[in-house]
Amino acid sequence: MRLRIEFRKQDDAKYIAHLDLTRVFERALRRAGMAMAYSEGFNPHPKIAFGSALAVGVEGEREYVDLELRFEQDPVEVLRALQVQMPQGIRLTEGRVIDAGMKPLMAVLNCARYRLSVPSSLSLPEERLSRAISAWLERTQVPYLRFTKKGRKEKDIRPWVESISGVMEAETVVFQLEINISPQGSVRPEEVIASLCALENLPLALDELRIQRIGLYVRHGEDRQPPWRIS
Amino acid sequence: MTQGITREMIQEKITRFLAQVQKPGRYIGNEWNAVHKDWDAAEVRIALAFPDVYEVGMSHLGMRLLYEVVNRQAEYIAERVFAPWTDMEQRMRAERIPLFSLESGQPLGNFDLIGFSLQYEMSFSNLLNMLDLAGIPLDAAARGPEDPWIIAGGPCAYNPEPLAPFIDFFLLGESEEQLLQVLALVAEHKKKPLLREDFLREAAQLPGVYVPEFYQVTYKTDGRIDKIERKVAGIPAQVQKAIVKDFDAAAFPERPVVPYVEIIHDRMTLEVMRGCLRGCRFCQAGMIYRPVRERSPETLLKQTEALLQATGYQEVSLTSLSSGDYSCIQPLIGEILDHYQAQGVNVSLPSLRLDSFGVRLAEQVQKVRKAGLTFAPEAGSQRLRNVINKGVREDHLMEAAEAAFRAGWSRIKLYFMIGLPTETWEDLDGIVSLAQRVADLGTRCGRRNITVTVSASSFVPKSHTPFQWEPQDRRESLREKQQYLRDKLRDRRIKYSYHDVPTSFLEAVLAKGDRRLAEVLRAAQRHGCRFDGWSEHFDEARWLLSFQEAGVDPEFYAYRRKDYDEVLPWEHISCGIHKDFFVTEHRRALQETLTPDCRGGTCSGCGVCNALAVDIDLKG
Repeated sequence: MRLRIEFRKQDDAKYIAHLDLTRVFERALRRAGMAMAYSEGFNPHPKIAFGSALAVGVEGEREYVDLELRFEQDPVEVLRALQVQMPQGIRLTEGRVIDAGMKPLMAVLNCARYRLSVPSSLSLPEERLSRAISAWLERTQVPYLRFTKKGRKEKDIRPWVESISGVMEAETVVFQLEINISPQGSVRPEEVIASLCALENLPLALDELRIQRIGLYVRHGEDRQPPWRIS
Repeated sequence: MTQGITREMIQEKITRFLAQVQKPGRYIGNEWNAVHKDWDAAEVRIALAFPDVYEVGMSHLGMRLLYEVVNRQAEYIAERVFAPWTDMEQRMRAERIPLFSLESGQPLGNFDLIGFSLQYEMSFSNLLNMLDLAGIPLDAAARGPEDPWIIAGGPCAYNPEPLAPFIDFFLLGESEEQLLQVLALVAEHKKKPLLREDFLREAAQLPGVYVPEFYQVTYKTDGRIDKIERKVAGIPAQVQKAIVKDFDAAAFPERPVVPYVEIIHDRMTLEVMRGCLRGCRFCQAGMIYRPVRERSPETLLKQTEALLQATGYQEVSLTSLSSGDYSCIQPLIGEILDHYQAQGVNVSLPSLRLDSFGVRLAEQVQKVRKAGLTFAPEAGSQRLRNVINKGVREDHLMEAAEAAFRAGWSRIKLYFMIGLPTETWEDLDGIVSLAQRVADLGTRCGRRNITVTVSASSFVPKSHTPFQWEPQDRRESLREKQQYLRDKLRDRRIKYSYHDVPTSFLEAVLAKGDRRLAEVLRAAQRHGCRFDGWSEHFDEARWLLSFQEAGVDPEFYAYRRKDYDEVLPWEHISCGIHKDFFVTEHRRALQETLTPDCRGGTCSGCGVCNALAVDIDLKG
């Protein structure tokens, strides 16, 4: 039985690295006494597959995982039993049985929305904020320097950014960001804000940036749907 | 440094950068089965401190055991703390964040006790660095009643002298019962405070509690120890280790913390027995954990069931110093597999007995032959194996290797030591010819892609062993021997790996050191030595500088042969074995004579059973 689960990852759980999250689910399933389905081969591992990786330190409001169990079970029961075994900060919010033939999450999720909040170090009129955002979005190319293990690498991040909006809430700027995800990669939300800050001269205290991923979607044109029906 | 800093302040600062350090999962302390208790309601709070990185400390069974033993008591709190990795330490120092416990995030200074686990000498600098990070004075003499008691246990507590000025008291031996007695005493002391000396004197009445400041060490003009004397009345002349008498009934961790980050031993652990039947003369563990005591298969099966439900791990490791010698090993493996294989649970053995029985066990647990098999002949010739009392013969190894090749393995690792007492070039040639014979055997058995890995570490003489009087082989000599083996082991089927010589030298100095080494440790911490067991962090130059500054000659400790009548730095510390036994065993070693193990009913008279009123306990 294939089960698609929507969950939240917040508080301390946001520090659980993506690769470690598979083990968290695997052990929780085992503690809950669920009969997991395993892959074939010499080194079988349980069939647990996530959508898009969530960076360490980023909270996820609506994340998704596909599980495969060996027997048919009531998904409500599975979720309830599994929730009891989940570490604090991971909240299973919905679960649906999906067709065996349904495409994996990785193949269908192509869009992510983020909320980023960051204190402004100087007072920042909202008008200046929106001008900065428009100016950034009007750029056809935004080179961004990434430091990787292999050295420095410059990358154009503009194509990955679908939209940005920003409002002031007291002394804090709250951005909404929509980002494209594709097999060729994506951009990290903090890179977008850092670039915006640098290129458009925004006085933001970036070391206090708080990032939440609000959701992951399947987008066709202007239509954005959670990954329940699309196959 | 910790003055006025609350856990909330720490929390707030940490949140700003935690996502930027390597593996933040090491520091969040909210793992499955972590115990969070009401801080204010507790009578006594102890931080269990492991002076190495999270992944190492979390793998340690003793830490898991004590964590559970203490937390089962409603009135006590045990929390965990590990050495922060260097990137985290840097951020903490920059932000003036004192070292804090994982569960409550309290600064270590707020605990009643900090209990360090001393598993290897190369972690001593981390211990000092952790105290420094916590803002707690390193010296016991500089600490006041508001500071926690700094205590330490584990195998290195058998020669605790290099740490003497830093530790209020050491716990010798097995702590699962002893630690609760200590905590009860601290609880009483908190209600009716005593003067430091009076409290420590009471603590010294408990089994295995060693208070270093109650003993005076004086030295001869040539640098050797003259006398170790008691400074106060009413304390033991020789402190004897604490021991658990009924091991089968003893506490066992059934709800271990399940980490987020992958740790070294990321699996369930069953302690099938404590102690080791064999009496290898170089092995400190084989001496200090005597006598051997086994757990019954019934108890172990119950523990497996509990562990599985509490952790969700898929692998159970049957650990002990020599699990292949556990008398019920085969039925136990069979039963675990019968019960749990369907749930995808497998069994692992940490070490293999060097015979075909050992290989049969490996076959039973390892369905896929992907990992190699490791055997430990320890020495290359029969003569030298007799010296170290490793009771295996070359035909045992060949038999085991053949069984392994026939069963489908093609990778075999052979573990040796170089620099053992009486070693000659012929013994090294023995290593080469053994490796070659094993590789040839593999070829004859029709295995392709054979890899025989020869891993040779350098012998480090340890306290409380028959080799405690022996010097370590000199660095030049060890390097020459490593080079010799490298030249001789030129066969594409054979791989050779060896250990860093300066690290082994420092280990020998600390393992056989006395109180004068404390100054060296202090200087080393100041110079930034830490994670010395990690080759990327070990810095020989800083250590040599520290020796120089402290005016201590490391070679005096590592390279000097001691007389039997010399006062040893650990003379006042006993693991229950007579010194006479060590002398006899040392002489037998030099005569290349084997001493049979305890199993056959011939007692070799080490004295531990009488001294501690405990018997060997075999269940099979």
